[in-house]
Amino acid sequence: MICEKCGKNHATTHIKTVVNGIVKEYNLCSACAAESGYGSSSITGMLASLLGEVSQPTLKNQKQCSLCGTTFADIAHSGKMGCSQCYKTFREELLPYIKRIHGASSHAGKIPNRAPLVVRPREKTIDDLRQELSRLVAEEKYEQAAVIRDKIKEMEGK
Amino acid sequence: MSRWYNDLSAQNDIAVSCRIRLARNIENLPFPSKMTDDDRKALNEQVKSAVLNSNTPFAKNLKYINMSDIPEIQRYAMVERHIISPEFAAKTEDTAIILSEDESISIMIGEEDHIRIQVLKSGMNLKDAYDLAESVDSLLSAQLNFAFDSALGFLTECPTNLGTGLRASVMLHLPALENNGEISGLIDSISKIGFTVRGMYGEGSKSLASLYQVSNQITLGISEKNALENLKIITTQLIEKELKARETLNKIKLEDICWRAVGTLKSARILTSEEMINLISRVKLGKSMGIIDLDCSPIKILIEAQPYMLMQKYGVMEPFDRDICRANMIRGDL
Repeated sequence: MICEKCGKNHATTHIKTVVNGIVKEYNLCSACAAESGYGSSSITGMLASLLGEVSQPTLKNQKQCSLCGTTFADIAHSGKMGCSQCYKTFREELLPYIKRIHGASSHAGKIPNRAPLVVRPREKTIDDLRQELSRLVAEEKYEQAAVIRDKIKEMEGK
Repeated sequence: MSRWYNDLSAQNDIAVSCRIRLARNIENLPFPSKMTDDDRKALNEQVKSAVLNSNTPFAKNLKYINMSDIPEIQRYAMVERHIISPEFAAKTEDTAIILSEDESISIMIGEEDHIRIQVLKSGMNLKDAYDLAESVDSLLSAQLNFAFDSALGFLTECPTNLGTGLRASVMLHLPALENNGEISGLIDSISKIGFTVRGMYGEGSKSLASLYQVSNQITLGISEKNALENLKIITTQLIEKELKARETLNKIKLEDICWRAVGTLKSARILTSEEMINLISRVKLGKSMGIIDLDCSPIKILIEAQPYMLMQKYGVMEPFDRDICRANMIRGDL
């Protein structure tokens, strides 16, 4: 289907409006949809709107970040934290939204050199182990490879 | 040492350039939008000494500059060269940048996050770019206490950057996919699997010269390596689709379009930015398809003919005079 507005691109967005009881339907491409205000807005805007759905009692919560004084209402309004401490202060309130943005809530990447000591290195994934296994096999370290192989088996069995 | 757009090794490729950005913040210091003037000065000093006092070989090629010392024209020329973000160019109060000689490394201090490490390379050199950014990060993290949480990773002002703080992007030239209208459907499907497609100048910018920036959106729960691999897979697929779409273009019409673009660029006396961009895109397509045999680098011209780049070189001008200057410069180049 071709976009009804520009008549050039494929239509990918279906829009249905009801104004004063009159139903209208349009098929637009993403560029024209965005121009008409139906496109995906910026991420920050999205977060602010996600947080904007927060129930009123949570927003009236007077809890403030001890380092920067930010309240949860401030964060819901701007979509931004005041400082890194805010993630501790409002952890419970924020986690559901963080999960919605990333589909995950546990870090799987680099750990800085001077990270606090409480940080434990992340557990190796099956992929990491498989890579290690093929490396050990290539290096003909079969005894160590057997240990890794058993670990993989154990993880796959879970 | 040359800047990314002067590197001609990838000039005929669909992947024009790639960029790595790492967002980092310092513990116990409010994020930039909440910092006081004293906080800002202290931050600049901390980052400056962490980089310049380190005895690593590449630190010798890095230079610290206060943004307020850079005139407005030069700041926006840096935006046009993709060295800094437009937002960073606009706010100069006590912000600073650490820049490598060839501008491939830039460390923005006091942008949305305390520190934004950026590495820019021509072509699709994501791994090289990441390795370089990672070594800058390690250098900094050895001396600064980065805000980090074992579950949420690197803590950033906006939760969309949590985790790795890594935004990797590849700029692709996709005129054939734009021409057959496939591009908007592709952008939609890509955005559903955790990637974003933007115009040439990042967030909110429109696509110019059929150049599209593809970048990862998810930063938490994925390792840097996997995020880069996924981006590479997506961009490789887009490149294949573009190549297929190019095969279906009508040869004589294509030759006509490309050579007319060359003709106009070689003869025009007045060239607006918009017209130049459209023409350059056609020259780039013609060159990479072997239709035009012309000794020039379209991307280099595209960057150098941007408004602030022109004014940085030839002085402050009104838009109309700029259009004349642009036409003169390009006639000289071709």
